[in-house]
Amino acid sequence: MDDLAEAQARLGRALARARAGAERGLGERVREAGERFLQGFVGLLRLSRVHAADNRAFEAPAAELAAVLSSLIAGAGPVRMVAVEEQVYVNDLRVRPAARSGHALAGELKPHNTGGLTFHAPLDAASLRRLVAALAAPPAPVRPRSSLAARLAGERLGSVELVGIHRYGPGEGAGGAVALEPTAVLEELLALADAGWGDLAAGRVIDPAALRRGVSRLLEVGVGAPALWARPAGGQGHAAHAVEVTVIALLVGGSAGLSPGALQDLGAAALIHDAGYLLASAAGGGGGLARHALDGARLAMRQRGFSAAKVRRLRAILEHHRDHADPAGRPSALGAILRIAEDYTNLIRLYGAKVTRAEALGAMARAGGTLYDPVLVQALVNGLGLHPPGSLVEIDDGRTGRVVGPARSPDLWDRPLVRILEPSTGRPTDDTVDLAVRGRIWRNLPG
Amino acid sequence: MAAPRGPRSARGEAAAGFVAALGKAARALALYDPSNSLVRQFLVEYRSRASSALLGGPLALDVQPFELTVAGEAIYREEDRERSIAFRLFRDGVRRITVEPDVPWGELVGLLEPLAVHLAGIEGGERDLATDLADARFTRIDVQAVAGFAPEEDDPEPTAPRGPGAEPSRLPADFDTPFPLLPAPGPIAWRPLPPEAIAGLAALDGPQAVAGDALRIAAALLAEAERGAVSPPEVARFLGELRDFVLADGALGPLAALAELVARQPAGPLRDGVLRALGDRRVLAAALAELPPGVGELTAEAARVVPLAPAAAALDLLADEGDPARRRLLLSIAAGRLPGDAAEVVARLPALAAGDARVLFRAVGAHAPAHAASACAALLEHPDLALRLEGVQALAGAEGELPVARLLPLLAAPEEELRIAVADLLARRGDDTAFPALAAAVEAPAPPSRLEAAALGRALAQVHPARAAELFGRWLERRRGLLLGRSSSRRDELRRWAAVAGLGAHPAADAGARIEEVAASADGELRRHCAATLARRRQEGFHG
Repeated sequence: MDDLAEAQARLGRALARARAGAERGLGERVREAGERFLQGFVGLLRLSRVHAADNRAFEAPAAELAAVLSSLIAGAGPVRMVAVEEQVYVNDLRVRPAARSGHALAGELKPHNTGGLTFHAPLDAASLRRLVAALAAPPAPVRPRSSLAARLAGERLGSVELVGIHRYGPGEGAGGAVALEPTAVLEELLALADAGWGDLAAGRVIDPAALRRGVSRLLEVGVGAPALWARPAGGQGHAAHAVEVTVIALLVGGSAGLSPGALQDLGAAALIHDAGYLLASAAGGGGGLARHALDGARLAMRQRGFSAAKVRRLRAILEHHRDHADPAGRPSALGAILRIAEDYTNLIRLYGAKVTRAEALGAMARAGGTLYDPVLVQALVNGLGLHPPGSLVEIDDGRTGRVVGPARSPDLWDRPLVRILEPSTGRPTDDTVDLAVRGRIWRNLPG
Repeated sequence: MAAPRGPRSARGEAAAGFVAALGKAARALALYDPSNSLVRQFLVEYRSRASSALLGGPLALDVQPFELTVAGEAIYREEDRERSIAFRLFRDGVRRITVEPDVPWGELVGLLEPLAVHLAGIEGGERDLATDLADARFTRIDVQAVAGFAPEEDDPEPTAPRGPGAEPSRLPADFDTPFPLLPAPGPIAWRPLPPEAIAGLAALDGPQAVAGDALRIAAALLAEAERGAVSPPEVARFLGELRDFVLADGALGPLAALAELVARQPAGPLRDGVLRALGDRRVLAAALAELPPGVGELTAEAARVVPLAPAAAALDLLADEGDPARRRLLLSIAAGRLPGDAAEVVARLPALAAGDARVLFRAVGAHAPAHAASACAALLEHPDLALRLEGVQALAGAEGELPVARLLPLLAAPEEELRIAVADLLARRGDDTAFPALAAAVEAPAPPSRLEAAALGRALAQVHPARAAELFGRWLERRRGLLLGRSSSRRDELRRWAAVAGLGAHPAADAGARIEEVAASADGELRRHCAATLARRRQEGFHG
């Protein structure tokens, strides 16, 4: 076989693998139904210009449109319809707008400072009529999109999300590239974990691409950023837990040399790793710990198609409570990392008031080879440092503080940054001591 | 591609040619089978254009929303988001791609690969181009990407509240408990991680690792399904996806391992259904793909998966297979599925080449005797005369009811040999439903030969003696009348011929006397036919 034939074979395998990961014909169906939806939607908008909202002329087209939307959502999940000048994209697929429908849609949405709509759930005919009436109404003079969103929420149309008018800037530096702030990334991850959990709770499939983007941003910021190690303030309890586990898992995965794609797989799995509790708690009767890993994998399996990313995610979720020395076999590498990250998080959550973080880490390190992969638990030790982030410490000048980030380097493994606490209230001050420069830790304290 | 107009530098021209060739090759892969010769041509052009573009040193392509530029000079522009290479790259955060002059061909293919996948419009992929390109671990191609990219909003407003799905759902208060018992804390220290352990973790990116991971999941799901914790359809769907994945890779080992895993499950609908679903023509095609031309012996790995493939898969592939050795292999695989797949094999017989149909027809007789009669009937529809005759002859001895309805159209077949064989068969095993067609055959616009008329007459007498007697009477009566006048027509003569032959096989006691009566008033040939018929009748044991 010559090198061209080898290349052909390689490319053929890549395409076949990608097709195996896709739901057959989904694109075609989305495009076809998207065209019908666009046409029907614009038709209703035009009708609203000549008929009162309660006119019976709306009945048949609204009912038909509701059916098309329902089938689109059933097949493709949330439907995102975006108008870009004369072109319209439904879930990133360009549809062929009939009779200047693209212009018409863009023209109707623009006064509301809106470039598109995302339908997260099917709407009945009456809801579609209310939506069209809201769009046909004069826009608010200021913040028209926010006003429209508020009106939609009031009309029980909260499942319709308004998308701004976006354009792609000229590139690096001039626009488009978001300056990544660790706290903003943290908030985004909390929102993603919330949304992923919510999607699964509502019986929808997760959007793994969105999870990956969030993880990708976290990796770009770097898991060493101190702001990532403050306990997340917002989000549901499950989201805060998921994000804590994600950050630690990526710290370990990065130390272990995982590729960018594998780290994204790990992070995406970490953000939804406990979603199985949704099914376990719905079933009742306890036994959540035993069941939730399997149930989480079942939820993640709902995603269509088969891809390497999905398999890694599934196995990580399925095995994230499996012992390293389990007679049935070791967990996958990602599962083993999740196990370590989650156990460390849980250990601090459950026993942090009684033991120091260093002791928690020391106990886990001694369980390397039985409960945990010894290499990965060493990666955790290397990554977190002798005084893991969040550790309550007393430094040699008598002040107490909290360690604000993971180990900065092997050389500084035992000399972290410490944020000094107000003695009377225990609140953090603006004073940070860099132990690489001066001072040393006198002792670790629980709490 | 809408290439920007206007004069370009020689460097820009070469770069534009490279990008155009990259785009054409990527799109060709979406349109044609990758093994197609056209794809090969596009790859040749891609390689050649890459060489030209790299003559002047490293090539740095800057990515703009709808444009690619080299040193500020636009060399590619396409504003259709779906078609645009630039847009796909830009949207996914890729900002610059630098190709070194000594880039190996494998890396150029690696650059083309994710672009081809993303431009092929395959839905469901979750990795962006930046990740795919980063994971390719190029050594002579540098990809610069930004992870924090988001399209600019013209007039930003506060984020609108999200739709449903954000309903608060809580973890149970006791989640992840009881916590496992840990040893007493020990001392910790920074230690370097063993390089071999790191290498082992990096290996999890390979396709083999994915297949292995998937098999572990499959094993877990099957075990849980047996306990009733997972529904069989959930398991079956996952295993079907896994099958498609390993087949896409042409990886027979994992497929065999999967089949063996499933086969170890307790017997039941899940096991049987999944095993059935694991085999299709792609399994066989992958097995055959491993064989050099002219070889009809399966490799050991292929032999593990071929039992999954049903006869239909082998017969599908047989239709397009030209290699005699592989044809024999496929036939033996199809024959090996008997008696289980007998119905499928039988249904395919009429469409197979004569030699293949004969082999499988005989295999059905040997290994699936319950289907022998339907196989004979299937042969009746084969275009090859010899096979149809073989089918008719075999039906004479086959067990079960004769497929009379499928035989009757053959009474109008162009080949007399076949028509006579069918008439003879109906005479032996037919029923009264055949009577009208037999009578019509005697009366056909193109009159039968005497031999065929005699066979038809005998069949008429056997399938419905009463109606035959009446019909023969009419045919012979008419002759009597005509005897009064001029000589009879050829058709009348054949009717008489058929009637006499029919009387010879008729069970009525007076049939012999009736023949003698006809002979008495007949001319030379008919008289001799009467005599021969009487002799045959006596030979066959009729009295009277």
